[in-house]
Amino acid sequence: MSPAVWTMDVFEKGNFVLLRLTLPLPPWPPTGRHDRYYDIDQILNTPGPRTDPAFLAGDGVKDFLRNQAKILVIGAGGLGCEILANLALTGFKDIHVIDMDTIDISNLNRQFLFRQKDVGQPKATVAAEFIMKRVPGCKVTPYFGKIQDKDDDYYMQFNLVICGLDSVEARRWMSATLVNLVDPENPESLKPLIDGGTEGFKGQARVILPTITSCYECSLDMLNKQTVFPICTIANTPRLPEHCIEWASVLEWPRVHGDKPKDTDDPEHIGWLYTVAAARAKEFNIEGVTWALTQGVVKNIIPAIASTNAIIAASCCNEAFKIATSSAAYLNNYFMLIGTDGVYSYTFEHEKREDCPVCGGESLDVSISSELTLEEFIDLLIERQDIQIKKPSLSTPTTQLYLQAPPQLEEATRPNLKKKVKELVAQNGEVTVTSTSLPFSLSLRLRFT
Amino acid sequence: MSTSTAVEAQPDSKTRRYDRQLRLWAASGQSALENSRLLVISASATSTSILKNLVLPGVGHFTILDPATVTPRDAGNNFFLEGESSIGKSRAQEAVRLLAELNDGVEGKADTSSLEHILDTNPAYFASYTLVIAHNLEPKLLERLSTLLWADDTLPTLVVVNSAGFLGEFYIQFHEHTIIDSHSETAPSLRIDKAFPALYDYSTSLDFASMDPTDHTHVPYVVILVRALADWKAAHDGKPPQTAADKKAFKEAIRGMQVKSDEENFEEAEAQAYRCWTETGVPSDIAALFQDPQLSTLSPTSPPFFHLLEALRRFTLEPPHTLPLTSTLPDMKANTASYIHLQKLYKTRAEEEKAILKGFLSVPVDDVLVDSFVKNAHGLKVLRGKKYGTLNADSAALASNVASSSKAAAIHLALSALAAVGPQPTIETLTVAAQALLPPGTELPEDFSDAVGEMCVPFVLCFSSVSPMPRVSSPNADAVSPRFAHCSARSPTADLPNTAAFLGGLVAQEVIKMITKQYVPISSYCVVDLVETWTGTI
Repeated sequence: MSPAVWTMDVFEKGNFVLLRLTLPLPPWPPTGRHDRYYDIDQILNTPGPRTDPAFLAGDGVKDFLRNQAKILVIGAGGLGCEILANLALTGFKDIHVIDMDTIDISNLNRQFLFRQKDVGQPKATVAAEFIMKRVPGCKVTPYFGKIQDKDDDYYMQFNLVICGLDSVEARRWMSATLVNLVDPENPESLKPLIDGGTEGFKGQARVILPTITSCYECSLDMLNKQTVFPICTIANTPRLPEHCIEWASVLEWPRVHGDKPKDTDDPEHIGWLYTVAAARAKEFNIEGVTWALTQGVVKNIIPAIASTNAIIAASCCNEAFKIATSSAAYLNNYFMLIGTDGVYSYTFEHEKREDCPVCGGESLDVSISSELTLEEFIDLLIERQDIQIKKPSLSTPTTQLYLQAPPQLEEATRPNLKKKVKELVAQNGEVTVTSTSLPFSLSLRLRFT
Repeated sequence: MSTSTAVEAQPDSKTRRYDRQLRLWAASGQSALENSRLLVISASATSTSILKNLVLPGVGHFTILDPATVTPRDAGNNFFLEGESSIGKSRAQEAVRLLAELNDGVEGKADTSSLEHILDTNPAYFASYTLVIAHNLEPKLLERLSTLLWADDTLPTLVVVNSAGFLGEFYIQFHEHTIIDSHSETAPSLRIDKAFPALYDYSTSLDFASMDPTDHTHVPYVVILVRALADWKAAHDGKPPQTAADKKAFKEAIRGMQVKSDEENFEEAEAQAYRCWTETGVPSDIAALFQDPQLSTLSPTSPPFFHLLEALRRFTLEPPHTLPLTSTLPDMKANTASYIHLQKLYKTRAEEEKAILKGFLSVPVDDVLVDSFVKNAHGLKVLRGKKYGTLNADSAALASNVASSSKAAAIHLALSALAAVGPQPTIETLTVAAQALLPPGTELPEDFSDAVGEMCVPFVLCFSSVSPMPRVSSPNADAVSPRFAHCSARSPTADLPNTAAFLGGLVAQEVIKMITKQYVPISSYCVVDLVETWTGTI
């Protein structure tokens, strides 16, 4: 049997692109009630009304799913545990999983592949072992480390990638990496990316076809803005318990402990922060500093429950299954769920951004005041919802404006920070922004007002 | 003893385990979960997916009622069966064993009797449960069960879940559901337009002109607005700004109070100025609750919620005709002293108003409940449910759903027809069954053919899987062509792992909301289509 290949085919609706499998015509298999895949095979033996006409029911697609498809799961946490279980049950047998974390007791209310005895062990390893034990014949290969440890060749081996992450940065990295991987000459280089995320009773799942549909970077401005407390409030005019906690964490910890790093997973460190914050709160008559709030603020804890993760992970895996088998139409391209007030969901097509720094090609127009200094301009880039770049380095095609590293260049370019941007860049001039946290550069076109 | 110096130790291991969910429903919600008892009928993949999401957060007890033994098919699609080693064993026992592993704090029990037998011989069986969940239950048994549980409002809530392949739906049968803490995202009014005496006196006593410039930039916007409004009213016959020109002038007056151009507290005041001319009253959805029939028949045995609601109603009859004041002040530009002072004014007044409300209570109510009620008064909810099956018995209501939410109605009709027809459906039998639910002459929704197409496939396609299925544009019994009559199943009985997991999550969310009485559960059918990935309600 020839290896399966993705081919791209423009669907009649125009920009809706279908990926399909081209496989030799298979024989029609009988399916017995006594088969472990009795339920799944009902779908794979017969097309439905909304199935791509190219779907070839039967053994070929089952062979691809069960013997050829190789799928990568990023994250073995709340979403990851659910994703791995669903993929295994639906018949994916070659699954790889990456996670850099170890198991914490607070994971056990939802990460159902882990038990009390596993606390402290790597999530990827424990999850992989559990799945292989529970679902015979399924091979799960764990990697206990960072996604950034892996190169393009590694990512090239997979047919599909599913992300169950809680970090914006990791998602941006993964999305940009898969966009960069696309080689128009090689259809196999297009790796569909399915991304899920949850917070409390809310969540979203989306299908990204790198370079074809909107990528993660395209939708950056949809993220909720994180609350940032101004330093002057924290230092001088605390009003909320959170201000006292930030004071303990941001100002007092380095003052008292110097270079000793703060480990927010260490209960002694949290205990210290809590005690210091509580004392400050008492001094200012502020109520409400608790251990739980201290931990919540310093770790930026997002509430998480099994049920929401189950919904979003199921949606991700269902898209993976449909894309891998062509057995039904798939999500185009964004599903958003809000479960706080009834069951509200919204399915829509998120549009590509033409000026997306990752997949758009066009540079982003930015209008700034002629009075703005380079330092203020950098702050603006960090703040802006559609940019959110940490520790950016800036250059023009001819000069380096400001570089974060190495130290000599940082020192050499530091005087520019106080200069006005207008003195450094021409009207309509191009500025390239890079950051070590992101595998792409951002091209800006500056207009002075 | 001092209350503010007591320093907590690190939370115990149970609190640490449940930390991420306690941030959603707090100790009160957790305690409700831990006191709940669930009965789940069948250990299907969907059933165990639902249970997994309820055992993990820590319900008190669950029973799985299922006389079946594990088949290879079960072992293949259900994560809470253990592959080949479970085959031939009791499905209930195997599932309970593997689910109970998830949480030591949860008690699980397997019951291998049949539901029919229990309905025949021991109808009191259900009374000890908080909530019963039934997945793909045979319609006659479901009718008996839902009728039994509907008979008395002390009997458990029933959650009915149906699925086939990529499609699914669920419905919660309950009589009445009251919610104090709905986690409303609207903030309660700060009542700037109706400033309480202490706030008014404080705001009007400040001498802005001679104030230290640093203090001036730290007067909370609430105080600025109360003062600006008082000054405005004094100059305008006691009336707030009304016309667009008034509002503009009012904002200019606020700007005029600034001593420097960059006083952020005054910028906040200007941005919040609308609060001065938006009259604080009783929100319309809360006023609507005062018409609740429970209030006209209030007796000492009525639930405390309704006694509190009646007290709230009487509270709002008195000036200033608002809900009790919130004690929660949002953050705003201010220095510590002025903010804490303002916060104290609000807290003190909120306590006073709570005491007034308590004075209207005709029975004693637990203080914790009163506190929570007053604090969340702007988000109170009363939901009233219907017996399972009410919608399908009302063809006119179904027809109006077909008209208003045709896609969701199509799936509901297809699943209802499938339940009626049984596991060997044909397009024809499904179409007839669905048509029978609608008033004569009503067309089935356009998407009905897509929905039943997920369950059956036209005969021709059984042998040629390469041509797409023709759309039946206005399908009804007469229009179905003969070639649709012989069908093979696509997925009439498929309990797909992904659909099971998706429904498992949705149903568990709703069960948690029902049990904790926090957040707002759905009070209609929730319909799921996992081909195009959307959910709907009818």
